[in-house]
Amino acid sequence: MLPSARAEAWLRANLFSTWYNSALTVASVVLLGTVLWYGLRWVFFDANWSVISTLGGLMVIGRYNVEAACPGQDCLWRPQVSLLLLTALFGMGWGIAGGGLTKRIAIGVAVVVSAFALLPYGMDTMGMDVRLLLAANIPAVLAGWALARYTPLGSPKWLAISCVVVFLLILLLLRGLSQVPGLQPVPVTEWGGLMLNLLLAVIGIAGSLPIGIGLALGRRSRLPVVKSMCVVFIEVFRGVPLITLLFMSVRIVPLAFPENFPLNPIVSAAVVITLFSSAYMAENIRGGLQALHPGQAEAARALGLAGWQTMMLISLPQAIRNVIPAIVGQFISLFKDTSLVYIISLQDVVGISRAFIRGNVEFLASHKELYIFLALVFWVFTYGMSYVSRRIEQNLRIGER
Amino acid sequence: MIDLAGVSKHYRMGTVEVRALDDVNLHVSDGEFVVVLGPSGSGKTTLLNIIGALDTPTAGRVSVGGRDITAASRSELFALRRQTVSFIFQSFNLFPGLTALENVEFGVDVAGKRGAVTPDAVLEAVGLGDRAGHFPHELSGGEQQRVAIARALATRNPVLLADEPTGELDFRTGAQILELLIDQASDNRAVLVVTHNREISRIADRVIEMSSGRIVSDGPPAGGKAPVSELRW
Repeated sequence: MLPSARAEAWLRANLFSTWYNSALTVASVVLLGTVLWYGLRWVFFDANWSVISTLGGLMVIGRYNVEAACPGQDCLWRPQVSLLLLTALFGMGWGIAGGGLTKRIAIGVAVVVSAFALLPYGMDTMGMDVRLLLAANIPAVLAGWALARYTPLGSPKWLAISCVVVFLLILLLLRGLSQVPGLQPVPVTEWGGLMLNLLLAVIGIAGSLPIGIGLALGRRSRLPVVKSMCVVFIEVFRGVPLITLLFMSVRIVPLAFPENFPLNPIVSAAVVITLFSSAYMAENIRGGLQALHPGQAEAARALGLAGWQTMMLISLPQAIRNVIPAIVGQFISLFKDTSLVYIISLQDVVGISRAFIRGNVEFLASHKELYIFLALVFWVFTYGMSYVSRRIEQNLRIGER
Repeated sequence: MIDLAGVSKHYRMGTVEVRALDDVNLHVSDGEFVVVLGPSGSGKTTLLNIIGALDTPTAGRVSVGGRDITAASRSELFALRRQTVSFIFQSFNLFPGLTALENVEFGVDVAGKRGAVTPDAVLEAVGLGDRAGHFPHELSGGEQQRVAIARALATRNPVLLADEPTGELDFRTGAQILELLIDQASDNRAVLVVTHNREISRIADRVIEMSSGRIVSDGPPAGGKAPVSELRW
């Protein structure tokens, strides 16, 4: 059959099989065409994207490097080096996994980040040092890979330890040390932009999974005190909106401390987001545990495993594997929720963009462009998470019943 | 090998007192192939769970492999389950994330018999040497049950307890599983098979019939012991 004849047959079978199918096809094409025509015309001709380029670095690190936060110095290298450490971790992951998904993520992250070195800003806005540190992400990912490949650090255990070390290093680097010249402290209230969203999300994700598991097990406990404490915790934190909890964390929690006690708004936000998310996580994991065939625990017990061994080796891994979609959904929702920290006057990527538009009248007309761009930024990260989760599920499906 | 003296299991369900087991006396020797017969709710599974130290009696004494388990501590019970009794279930209960071989190895590791037992050889012995790398969902029901038996055998435990081992299998496959269990009794293990299927009791050395938590008859099958090939489902 000729290709054109085959195409015609396909169209006939799939789009024009009946009169109402044909009508639907025509209507859909008209609708899609109109949306695309006006949408693309707006994107390429009418929209004024200069608000994005003007905001630039503010979106990424917030007011971290402004004169008020970092007087007399250029502090931009500190988040940039933090990023390099992060890319090196991805590289280590790639070196340990040896290829596949981890390799694609590591190289993808390094290449995309390095590409920012080529942004068409003038050299006075974006200096050579900034560009070089961005481009250094490619060597960084390779260094991480080599570290995992050719030194004894190439095991999952060392990767986990490195993750903790890098996390603490990044915090130290961003925070600064007054004793060290060139590393002057930057007040945490000035940390912002996407950096803040990612920081809160990483803390929230790393904290809510273990706490959630603990709560889920506690809620199934036969000890009435443990059980009721877990139930109360879960119901309270699930029952109150996150925005209320965040507000309470800065308005009510300080009442419990002496005046002038240095409470840190980022720590408050991180704690609240983690606890809020772990309440949902607990219910996801409990659902996974309940869906398990009771025979699994029975078999493990009959083999002679103790109760906690049965839970750790048999029940929990299967339960978690079964609820990966729900867990990742919770992570995605947590990441989006980090933008609510504007309520306690932290300037995450959304907050700082809003503040910028309000403070600069000439961009008041650019709301649309700004929010569409922000939506795209969030979508890229959340889609990344959902892509990774789908791949993990595929890899784990080998042993499915 | 297995000794039960005056064993009862009573518990309350709401206002009703349930007598799952009522004054059961039983002795099973090594190498005996025993079928426990009775309708649902007659106490068969409770009996099996008490022998396997998965459940505790409310009265009476139980000893398995010379160890009194009614007075045993928790850790002694774990040791008993690891080193004396092995279970086979109706729904196989293999671990879905592990291959056939890994399931057997897991049993060996838990029993602490790594080195003394070769998992491959046990899998070979149940006729699944070529399926070692397959996951449970890639095996048929009969094959899964054979892996489960291999997992139980690899522990080298002297008591084998099977709860409706052929309940989910067709006739031919069920017969193969029963042959395999009889072989274990010839290997000087005490094998207890719980079933509601009277036909299976024909192949036993000894049939114990239960009703309402009591043993109502105990002895060789009526008409003498038959080979598996004579079974008609």
